[in-house]
Amino acid sequence: MADIVNLFEVEPGQTIRLYSEATAEVVSNPRDGVWLFVRYLSSPDDPDQVGQEDMVFAQDVIELVAE
Amino acid sequence: MAITFQPSAYSGLVDQENGMVSREIFVNSDIYAEEQERIFTRAWLFVGHESQVEKPGDFFVSSMGEESVILCRDREGEIHVFLNSCMHRGMKVCRYDEGNTPIFTCPYHGWSFATDGALVGVPFYKDAYHEELDKSQWSLIRVPRMINYKGGIWASWDPNAPDFLEYIGGFKTYLDILFDGWDGSEGGTELIGGIEKWMVPSNWKFPAENFIGDRYHNISHRSVDLVGIGPSGQGRRDNREREGAKSLDVSFPERGHGTVMFLRPEDAQPVESYQNDPVVAEYFYQCEIARKERQGQLWRILAGPGTIFPNMSFLPRQPRSIAVWHPRGPDQTEVWRWFLVDKTAPPEVKEFLRQYYIRYSGPAGLTEQDDMENWNYAHSASRGAMARRHHYNYQMGMGYAVTDFEDGGLKLDGTVLDTTKARAGEQNQRGFYSRWREFMAARDWDELATWRKGGSAC
Repeated sequence: MADIVNLFEVEPGQTIRLYSEATAEVVSNPRDGVWLFVRYLSSPDDPDQVGQEDMVFAQDVIELVAE
Repeated sequence: MAITFQPSAYSGLVDQENGMVSREIFVNSDIYAEEQERIFTRAWLFVGHESQVEKPGDFFVSSMGEESVILCRDREGEIHVFLNSCMHRGMKVCRYDEGNTPIFTCPYHGWSFATDGALVGVPFYKDAYHEELDKSQWSLIRVPRMINYKGGIWASWDPNAPDFLEYIGGFKTYLDILFDGWDGSEGGTELIGGIEKWMVPSNWKFPAENFIGDRYHNISHRSVDLVGIGPSGQGRRDNREREGAKSLDVSFPERGHGTVMFLRPEDAQPVESYQNDPVVAEYFYQCEIARKERQGQLWRILAGPGTIFPNMSFLPRQPRSIAVWHPRGPDQTEVWRWFLVDKTAPPEVKEFLRQYYIRYSGPAGLTEQDDMENWNYAHSASRGAMARRHHYNYQMGMGYAVTDFEDGGLKLDGTVLDTTKARAGEQNQRGFYSRWREFMAARDWDELATWRKGGSAC
């Protein structure tokens, strides 16, 4: 299991993998340690999400995806 | 003897006819709790200044009564005031004094709110709430009444409160002197420095009544006057401005507001002041000339300390500042003080005033230290079982005020007590407590807007 991601250190442009197995690009980080603003890159459960912007909760962030 | 604080009891606690006020209203915790409900959820309260939230996302955490509120500017540039309490379990969604943010996130369970108050982030919204939670119903609680008056942000929790300008009535003359430029230009002020905040072990009404017009306590500040470090180089800065002036206490008892002032003679001319610094002296001298030209007769008013009911006090001249007496229990007041300068004043003038303000006001200021001594010890000496049996005396100047004051063609609204010879009076304090009594007894704003009916709520 991946280490807990410290949201304070996540930068816009990085890619994250989510609890739902979706991946998303970080659009902005409010730096509250709880939320990230993202744009979906892939979403096996809900392909319609791809391209959409959303807020992602810290506990839904599984890991940073290496470039 | 147990006291039941039914609305009818308040007329006994504030004996307007005999000029006496029970100490219970300062020290009794049941009365204090009632004040939070009956006064602080219904009156217009000062929250902050627009210059504290200049950019989208800027926020300033303030108080309305005991309750924390967020003053913020949303992404569209609109100013809001919200209750600082998460709609899920009540946690403060903002625990900073001020800053800039895209969202307010509750640290307890993670609900987050946009700067327009909308609930935008709910953890596990899809899986745990099954997308069935109606987010639109769970926005931050927004004050139903808010106004930006010349940069000052005011709010009321009561949707039926009268419009702000109706609430302040004729007191607008004095509030305008605070927020307008020294030359009389509309809303020409801005904040300088930070907000001074400190605790005073005293009931919030002590400072409120002190600022509404207590000239009687000037003896407390005699040591400051003796030190003579005023910016005019000798004694009080404003002595020359007051030559030949009448001393007036102006009260609006139907609203609870009041102020003290000096009224210059009809033929008065601007005089030099702030002679410690030639640039500052010249700036204010030219502003006085400009204001005299702009305002005519109103220029004669040298406004002094005042209070807008219930807990906003101000000094419209110097040190030009706003104080809010936040209630923090019957025996504690958290004082916040904002300082104002002319937006267009030269930097040298602003810096000169900053130094002057620091020397004069706040917990380290020479004058405010005197006041705190009085409030602290008066309060603590009024809490005991014996002390509480005895009323305070507010009888000074009873029966000597007029409601049709006119001097040299200048008519003043309100109830005016000429204290030129007497040097002090207590009609403003009586007006304040009369209004307090009405707030504590009245059921709603239909009863509180007594000026619409020409009567009293009690």
